[in-house]
Amino acid sequence: MPIRSTVERLDRPSAYYTSRRRRPDNHRDGEEDTNMQPEQTEDPLKDATTIYVGNLSFYTTEEQVYELFSKCGEIKRLVMGLDRITKTPCGFCFVEYYTHQDALDCMKYIGGTKLDERIIRTDLDPEFEEGRQYGRGKSGGQVRDEYREDYDEGRGGLGRAIRSERLIEAERRDHNDGEYGRLR
Amino acid sequence: MADYDRRQGGGGGYNNRKRRYRDDDDRDHRGPRRRYDAPPHVRIRKQLLSIAENPMRSWHEEVQSIANLFTDNWDDELLRSNFVDLLLQITVEQPLKIPFLAAVLLVANTNKSEIIDLLLAKLVSNVEAKIGEGEWRDVKLYLKLLACLQSCLEGEGVFPVLEELFDRAVDLQTASSEDTIGTELVKIILLTLPYVMVAAPDQWQQKAADLMEKTEIIASEPHTLQALIEPYHPERVEEGAPPTTSLIGLLQNQLQNEANNGWILSCLPRPWEFPVGEIEVQSKLSNPTKHPLPPISIPQTVVAGPRPLFPEVYFSVYADQDVESVPPVTNAAASLIRDALLDTINILDYNRNITARHLIEVDCFFAPRTFAARATPFDRLRDIEPPKSTWKPEDVAVDAVFSQLFQLPNPEHKLVYYHAVLTEACKLAPAAIAPSLGRAIRYLYRNIHRLDLELTDRFTDWFSHHLSNFGFTWKWTEWVDDVFLPDLHPCKAFIAGAIDKEIRLSFAQRIKNTLPEPYQALISPEKEKDVPDFKFKDPQTPFAAEGEEIAGLLKRKAADEEIQPIIERIHALALDNNLDPLVASTDVFVTCVLHVGSKSLSHVLAAIERTKDRLTDAGATSDAARAQIISSVMSYWSSHPGVAICIVEKLLNYSILTPACVINWALVSYAGRTKGDALGKMHVYELVFNTVIKVTGRVRQVVQKTNQPDAEVGNEMADAEVTAMRGLFKDMEDALVSWASGSKDEIMEVGEGEGGAGSEHERLVRRWGERWLRVFRRRAAIEETFLQEAAKEKKAVAAGVTAAGGATAGEAIAVDPAVDPTGEAVVDDVL
Repeated sequence: MPIRSTVERLDRPSAYYTSRRRRPDNHRDGEEDTNMQPEQTEDPLKDATTIYVGNLSFYTTEEQVYELFSKCGEIKRLVMGLDRITKTPCGFCFVEYYTHQDALDCMKYIGGTKLDERIIRTDLDPEFEEGRQYGRGKSGGQVRDEYREDYDEGRGGLGRAIRSERLIEAERRDHNDGEYGRLR
Repeated sequence: MADYDRRQGGGGGYNNRKRRYRDDDDRDHRGPRRRYDAPPHVRIRKQLLSIAENPMRSWHEEVQSIANLFTDNWDDELLRSNFVDLLLQITVEQPLKIPFLAAVLLVANTNKSEIIDLLLAKLVSNVEAKIGEGEWRDVKLYLKLLACLQSCLEGEGVFPVLEELFDRAVDLQTASSEDTIGTELVKIILLTLPYVMVAAPDQWQQKAADLMEKTEIIASEPHTLQALIEPYHPERVEEGAPPTTSLIGLLQNQLQNEANNGWILSCLPRPWEFPVGEIEVQSKLSNPTKHPLPPISIPQTVVAGPRPLFPEVYFSVYADQDVESVPPVTNAAASLIRDALLDTINILDYNRNITARHLIEVDCFFAPRTFAARATPFDRLRDIEPPKSTWKPEDVAVDAVFSQLFQLPNPEHKLVYYHAVLTEACKLAPAAIAPSLGRAIRYLYRNIHRLDLELTDRFTDWFSHHLSNFGFTWKWTEWVDDVFLPDLHPCKAFIAGAIDKEIRLSFAQRIKNTLPEPYQALISPEKEKDVPDFKFKDPQTPFAAEGEEIAGLLKRKAADEEIQPIIERIHALALDNNLDPLVASTDVFVTCVLHVGSKSLSHVLAAIERTKDRLTDAGATSDAARAQIISSVMSYWSSHPGVAICIVEKLLNYSILTPACVINWALVSYAGRTKGDALGKMHVYELVFNTVIKVTGRVRQVVQKTNQPDAEVGNEMADAEVTAMRGLFKDMEDALVSWASGSKDEIMEVGEGEGGAGSEHERLVRRWGERWLRVFRRRAAIEETFLQEAAKEKKAVAAGVTAAGGATAGEAIAVDPAVDPTGEAVVDDVL
């Protein structure tokens, strides 16, 4: 194992990725847990050439992504994240490079910088698979956009679930308010 | 141990917000806790890693505290060996801290002198390993630590090592005039020497003088490639030869000055000198236990290592100011501070936040009073009374990054890394850094007419990328008069190129809003349209009906057989109108494909994928038709050149286009059609440059593959690639020489006064020709150097010698899709 650097590295997978990887192990039955031997599985990110890009504006285009991410190497494939229902961009994408080194450099040099005036997030990704281009949120977009409490113009304002809750609330109020209507 | 380290090593990541949050919870909300002291090894690690970072702590206190903590726990064997390993690791990872690490060792030596022997043993074996690998920077850094320990070394200390390195350098230089390793060795010797002189003052003057007398010959000899890597390319009418800025030549002179002045070296820190109150420690330090330096064996043949070595020049964007905000090139401080900063920048590419922090805190790591106070405005430097320093730490730091961004042929890392460092520095200390960047930008803009064209392109790219991280704010008003210059003027070309790149990262309307009124005319209404107009919509356009029809068929993904009759109709119509039928049908078809795919790059790639057979056939019919493919792409996307360049790149990957075709289109057809104006367009340069890099990257890859012992790629293939590349460079040379010399027909044809011979327009075009020529002559020379090295390496491999490393590809090379088995765009042919 290589010696830990005296300075943290930015080309490591995020806590999000590592926690998602670990979860299945934690939820295993006791029987398997007694097997203390740590599984020597191959690191799926060892040669990863794909980068997940998050916190994009819904309005950021493929061309803009190309322009920025090409600075780390030629892009082999770009898959925009789409709203499952409307099929419009919903604020993330997958950038695939030709080499692992380009992907690592992307983590180091582009992650955390701005595209379209938003700080974007990058994460090493094992590989794009069909279906992953769609948001997994209830209303079609990304999960994080369901209950977001801040107003983010680039990502459709308030969280969608919150918005619809408020809509229902407002509607109910409208109905109940009948007799006090003139006060409004 | 990991948990402790993570905490203090953190702050660099942007991904660990959640984790840090949880840590805070642990600490804050669990009620009163018993005070817990971390074990010594953890405390030592923590203190060593942050040594000298806190300007509020005095060096001697910090040094003494670490040394004492260590010697107090001497019996902890694990701690002992970890301590040595950690010191050596910090040496090669955070080189600004080397003198402070040495000071800790020197103080520890007064108590437990065995520590030095432990360290020397490991250091020597590390140095030997790094020499074997040709990792010359690491060798330099270990030697720097060793130099700082000179006072506790027996005999002549580090000098015998430096002398042996010099002997190797002489061998190499006598063997070949093109040698770069020898030059690198001399550079290492010269950069180590000053640290010896401050570590053991007043003892080694004669030794130093002897050594420098020897290095003089090598240091003053300009390298054969020197002329090609100078950042400036003055116009011929300007003052004769520009003063050479060879880094090693400057260094030799600077050290000579120091020697003449008794090696004052006032910028270097001396953390081993204790204040008057600490007389006891100081007297122990003055009479240290001496240790023999184990012999360092240096092999007879040394290797260049994984990064290709080139001669280096000293570059500064603050050179011509009326007040010295950076050390002058006559002062050794210029080289010594720059060297330490460059190592820091290039080593820490894996955490640009830490790099930026070290840059901003540069004054912590050099002698007090080396710099003016942080964030002193430039205008206030004038008020500083000598002998106080006027060197602005921000300028010194930013200058170092720019020297990498503008290093030819290539800096160590991708250019975007240096962009990111400047962005981070600007985020950390905007009030201090932003004005320095502003002055750098103005300097570069003022000198843009003589800046190498490749560097002009880098400047444009960095400038637009940087602005995109800071709301696209720039004081455009100060250049407003230049908007009215002719498009071929270098300043105007820069403005146009920068605005185009800003738009690519954003969108036209947004950028327009950031620009003063006169600039807004440069953004045509077409640029504000997401999708270009389809010319066949207008019935006046020739072949309008056929165009609409083909577009319709492509949209509903009709079979190719349905398209063929229409193509034939175009051929017939073209013949009737005395037009080249193949060119006409290619234009219609390609334009239709682009139109159908105009929604996004994915759409156009899918459209090309579906029609690639027909496109390939169209390109294969005639040279004119193939050139027309590019013309159609460039013209359809003329308002969005970034998209056009991207599409051409993909067409190259599909082998629908060849590199020669792209270059010929740009330098002959298009440049000819525009009477040379094309040469002043940054996106045309970008198209050609990218194409050349694709070819050279591919050649390097193939040549390296044939160099493997179990090479699957045959020599014939590599030879064919090399021949093709040389042919390409030859074509470029021919085309560009005629532009540069004014012998191009298109210039000759035009009458005087309207852009022909002798006019201002002709002068400008010729100058662009010269600038282009220099870039691609350099590229050709670099590739030849690479091929020579590869041939040497191959011979060595064949001879059964295991050559470690060897000067090979140092630049970023994208694996070509043609050799990628999983790529979607797999094609058999080359490129």
